Formats: sequence, C-alpha cells, structure tokens
Amino acid sequence: MTNPDPIYDEERLREIVELGLLSPDVDPILREIADRAAAALGQPVSLVSVVLDEALHVAAAHGIEGMWLDETRGHPLEWSFCATSVRTRDAFVVENAATHPIHRDNPLVTQDGVRCYAGVPLISSRGYVLGNLCVVGVESHSFDEQEIGVLRDLAAEAVRRIEARRTA
Amino acid sequence: MTDPARIPGYQLSPPTESDAVASLVRVFGAERGATIWHGACRAAMMVVGTVNSVARLERAVESLAQRGSAEAGVARSLAIRLRTYARLSAAPRRTPSGPRS
Repeated sequence: MTNPDPIYDEERLREIVELGLLSPDVDPILREIADRAAAALGQPVSLVSVVLDEALHVAAAHGIEGMWLDETRGHPLEWSFCATSVRTRDAFVVENAATHPIHRDNPLVTQDGVRCYAGVPLISSRGYVLGNLCVVGVESHSFDEQEIGVLRDLAAEAVRRIEARRTA
Repeated sequence: MTDPARIPGYQLSPPTESDAVASLVRVFGAERGATIWHGACRAAMMVVGTVNSVARLERAVESLAQRGSAEAGVARSLAIRLRTYARLSAAPRRTPSGPRS
C-alpha cells in the first residue's frame, strides 16, 4: 500500500535523485541563491534543502561554515523545519522557535540556538516538493509578506537552475 | 529503558538494520522494501539480519545507494543519520550562536 504522506512518496524521491540534488558537489548558483536569501532577509544562515524520507540534505548553504551541519550536510528529518512545506506545499514561518508548539523541544532549538525560520517550497515542474529555500536565525524575528515574496522569487530561480541541469 | 548510545540533548540513537528496513517499507511497501534490502545486503556480501555494526550498516547503505532511483534517496537519508550520529557523539560543536562543547 502506498504511504499517503508525501514525505515518503517514491516518485518524489526518484525526482530528487534524477535531478542530481544529492550530488556531493555544491552548485555555485544554488550557493549564490542561498547567499542572496540570507542577505535579503538579514539572517545568518540560508539553506537550499532537500527533504528526504528520513533526513534533510543540504544541497547548498550560506553561513554554516565551521558548524557540524557543514560536515554532516544534513540532519535527521524529525528536526527539520523544512519538512512542513513538503506536506503543506506552502511557506512555513516560525518567529520564535523557543515558544513554538512543534519546535520548542527540537534539538536545533534547545542545543544549537535556532530561533527564527522562514522557508518556501521548491516545487518541480512535475509538481513534486523537493525541499525548501529557507533562512534561519538565532534571534526571534517576524517575517513580513515582502520578505516571503523575496524567498518565493529566489526559490523559483533555484528550481529553474535545478531543472536546467536536467535538460542540459 | 534509557538507550546508553543515545546522545543527550539531541535524543539521537545510532541507526540500525531495523531502521533501514523500516525506512524502505515506508517508501516501497513491505514486500518491495524487504526485497530491496535483501538485494542491497547481497550486493554488499552480507546476509539480512547480520548488519549489526555501524561499519556493516555503512556498507549496506552504500550498496543501497548504488541501486540509484528512489533507493538512493533512502540510502542518503540513512547515511546522513549515520553521519550526524557520529559527528554529534564525537566532538565539541560550534553552533549558530557560538562555540559549544
């Protein structure tokens, strides 16, 4: 029986693999998009994340140099803020993770100091949510519609880049 | 009962063969999941049920990754969980807000 949770969708995982999103080489253009997202929203960290069935994979990032995340290039799915957007297909925003009902006990919050998060889904032209473009900060922050709009524009650019590699 | 291998604070235990099989079953269903794990173990010269160390699980996961397609996605999940456990159980950490030991 097929699992109804899109996180475990075999076709979604196949799309991720076929698009080369698990490559060990970081695409410089995706890295640049992460740089621009962090700068535009004034947050220290930005990720182009790929949401797998049991883990989040970092395809490109800004601001994680020297952190354990830079070595592991990912973390268990149950700590992931980005997984929410795979299920809702919409932006997910956390202003203060320390008081958030789902994430206040998340180790990334209790151990690593994450406080704010804003992410928008990366949706392929075939309709699969591959992951997110997100920003992460260590102080609580209210993100406005304009900021989410910037993330959406950059996420669309990231998907165009990812899909251009498939057709290249 | 407390798992002695669990990393305090992160509440993270090392992945096991059972976790790998459960992951495959969630994505591919019970029958295909078991068949895929059997094939991955056989390609890694191991028998199902004997993947009882990190080194052996890493070999089986690598074999799973070689199959490509969605299996490679499941394999990367397991590899990230293995890597995260090894990294967080081993050494001091630097966090977004500064050094932490």
